[in-house]
Amino acid sequence: MKGIEKEIEMDIVKAGNDRLSAMKDIFRDLTFTGVYQGPTWRFHSYGINCKLSGSVYAVTEIENAVPLVHGPIGCPFHHRLTPRRMWESMRLACTELTENDVIYGGEDRLREKLVDTYSKYKPELIAVLPTCVSGLTGDDVKGVIQEVEVPCELLYVPSEGFAHRDRQALDVFLKDYAKAWVDPTESPAYEIRGCGHEEVMLSLAEQMMEEQDVEERSVNIETYYGRFNYGARTQLEKMVQLFKKIGIKINTTFLTCTVDEVKRAPAAELNIAGRGIEWAKHMKKEFGTDYLQRTFFYSGIEGTEKLLLDIASKFNLEGEAEEFTSKEKNKALQELDRYGKNFENHDFALFTLGFFFTPYSIKTYLDLKIPLKYVCIDTLWLKEHNISDETIELMVRNIEKLIVDWDMGFELVVNPSLNETSEIAKKVDYVLSDWNTMPLYEKEGISVINTSVAMYLFYRIGFTGLVELAEYMAKRIKRKHNPRIPIVSRLEYDKIHYPMLADPMCLASHDMWSAMWSLRSE
Amino acid sequence: MDGCKFFGAFRACSGIKDAVVLSHCPVGCNWGAMILKNTSNQSDIRQACTVMHEREIVFGGEEALREALVRADKLYNTPLLAVIAGCAPTVIGDDIEAVVNSVELNKEVVWMDAAGFKDNMGKGYEEALVHLARLMKECETVEKSVNLIGFCPDDFKVDADLKEIKRLLNHAGIKVNCVISKCSFHEFVNAPAAELNVVMGQGTELAEHMKREFGVPYLAVGYPYGLEGTTDFINAICEHLHIEAKEKELDFELESFKRIYLYLHELYGTPVSVIGDFHAESMANFLDRELGFDIEVLNSNEDDYYTFEQNVRASNTTILFGSSFERNIAVELRIPLVRFTYPVFDHVCVYDDAPFAGFRGAVCLTETILNAVMGFGTKEINKYITK
Repeated sequence: MKGIEKEIEMDIVKAGNDRLSAMKDIFRDLTFTGVYQGPTWRFHSYGINCKLSGSVYAVTEIENAVPLVHGPIGCPFHHRLTPRRMWESMRLACTELTENDVIYGGEDRLREKLVDTYSKYKPELIAVLPTCVSGLTGDDVKGVIQEVEVPCELLYVPSEGFAHRDRQALDVFLKDYAKAWVDPTESPAYEIRGCGHEEVMLSLAEQMMEEQDVEERSVNIETYYGRFNYGARTQLEKMVQLFKKIGIKINTTFLTCTVDEVKRAPAAELNIAGRGIEWAKHMKKEFGTDYLQRTFFYSGIEGTEKLLLDIASKFNLEGEAEEFTSKEKNKALQELDRYGKNFENHDFALFTLGFFFTPYSIKTYLDLKIPLKYVCIDTLWLKEHNISDETIELMVRNIEKLIVDWDMGFELVVNPSLNETSEIAKKVDYVLSDWNTMPLYEKEGISVINTSVAMYLFYRIGFTGLVELAEYMAKRIKRKHNPRIPIVSRLEYDKIHYPMLADPMCLASHDMWSAMWSLRSE
Repeated sequence: MDGCKFFGAFRACSGIKDAVVLSHCPVGCNWGAMILKNTSNQSDIRQACTVMHEREIVFGGEEALREALVRADKLYNTPLLAVIAGCAPTVIGDDIEAVVNSVELNKEVVWMDAAGFKDNMGKGYEEALVHLARLMKECETVEKSVNLIGFCPDDFKVDADLKEIKRLLNHAGIKVNCVISKCSFHEFVNAPAAELNVVMGQGTELAEHMKREFGVPYLAVGYPYGLEGTTDFINAICEHLHIEAKEKELDFELESFKRIYLYLHELYGTPVSVIGDFHAESMANFLDRELGFDIEVLNSNEDDYYTFEQNVRASNTTILFGSSFERNIAVELRIPLVRFTYPVFDHVCVYDDAPFAGFRGAVCLTETILNAVMGFGTKEINKYITK
């Protein structure tokens, strides 16, 4: 008996250590990658990055792959930086096109550089990424790739900087999402063109993957942003463990993989796609590989259960999965009940953004047994990204509908002023915020618990992310800190575009970008 | 590894503090220039883009440019709009001059063709300054005054370095009339008032132009790193302006170096490599001449980067001096990297009393080097030993 008790105790200690390690992993990434990624995201108020940068990043996610930029020297100079982690400069080759190449064509230069790149880096894959210049001069990149002989794989990825998404894409996408919130059968199954990442995925599926003998009960998992995904390492480990328990094997984690694994991707029975699905559609058509897209309704307790069962059903493992899932779910619910005791008898307000997953994220907080009294949603930033009033109204309307349908029982406040926010804060015991307005609130004496870590735990496959978040929150609400007067709260900000400084040049640059962006490709 | 002409032009134009740069190009060029510039100042955003998309590529970007000019004229309360055309409009043949002339605007407009495939960053900088120089006007010469030419707003330590250089020059009785390109529009326009142009690494074409147009002579000097480098810098300018040596009172002191002199003894003869823009040569001079370091590899950004990396790998280099781009090779070789030259995007320098230039800069730079060596993790060193 004593032995069993000790074993249980050890299990609890191990689970605790695992959670600590998982949380540390996310906080490390939030700190060391976030310091670059956060400001980069803010700069989207004044512009967007080139398609080429997404392609460069995606190619370098594959082990021993080298991007070859087919363009002038300036393109690799700044695309050597990824928008996500600026210091992570990469091995990158370039054809260094000059005026002569623009006049006479750059195909010879490309031939030379393919050979040169191979001889310098000995990669397993060279991905040729055309730029605006080679796109305009009409170099036959595909033709050159076919004729040049180097002992490695060659890939062509359309990456011309002028072929980015148009201004309405995000608006249409969000509108369809808002509709799907109330009717998930209508979940949008297309993607936003032009960030470069999708183009690499599709090119790999079209040009490199080879017919394979299908290995039963095996999956490919798309790793989103791979090494730049916060908590990626832990997330992947947890997924592998979980699938193993259901009896599913991981064939490859796509794009965080080797060149050989890319080729052998069609050996999987199923693709679990995340960000985009064009590549998965192509694999289905070409190799018969089925796919499942992880989307908003696969979150929270019910969503996680649904995801596991949906995956299992693709392998006719419903029976085994039901038993396993039910056990895992009950275990998670017990833990959530335990942590929930810390939250009961308190009132909470949640300050969050309106975006793709919003009502489902809010519902997940309720799964954690956090009694929300108010939810404040900021939709102003959507305006900055050219989201129409019509779409924003639809989003708010459908969130309101779901509050009633799901009997969530909190008051929804859309775009409250700082005074209104302050009043709401006085009416609750704790304020949760996953957005960066914390310094402003704290200056006003509103103590805020930062829940930005939540988004990286909500969408992990399995129930462990939810339990980890509950544990973190339970610890976090017990911690008190002195009133803060953050230095950043002393600065003067624009009333609408927080955290843009109240500076006429910044505002004019923002307005200028917004106007020019909305004029393109109407 | 060098940037293109567009980047050079952008850096030159954005150095005029109250100018707006309108980039006529697709989104990526605008983004790249913004990201590299604004790690150094996140509150200074003065740029716009015509957002050339597929439609502009097919039908021409002139309408987009016209639209952007009119909007920028209304939105920005600034005296100058610098229009920089990148690769795409140049290839498709947009008539930028005609568009600029077709609209009536309330501010000065200077435009330039800076297609990236035409040349490198240095050339873009030179040409942009010459384009901007048409705004300069004849002025009455201010005695014992100089313009400092060759700066960019996103150079590492630029504010601190300029503060120290101005302090030293003022101490020698010399007034700094204008820093190009890190000045106001008014200062730029009145640059011909200087008695002498001091070219610090780049900007020679502007200096030649000003000599021709306004009769301002120029002097090319190295960047003032170290005690000797700074002394040479001040002496050269003073000599040109006929300022007596006794007036200069070069005031460096050695007290700070005394405190760490044993470390300097120990590091004497350290093998190091240096890469960068024009700053690199002056830095190498300081390291060699004043710290006694052995320069293993010295390269310019314009040289082949792969060869540079191979040469460093094949050398005994134990400290690397360069930009953030050298982080990978420094990590690979498990040696410290001292950042001193553009682009630096993984360090910030917001305290403007810690320069690398001038006498005070010699102290800060030495301190930075020692800390880079002494703070270098034992983990990295041990890894190397056990490998």
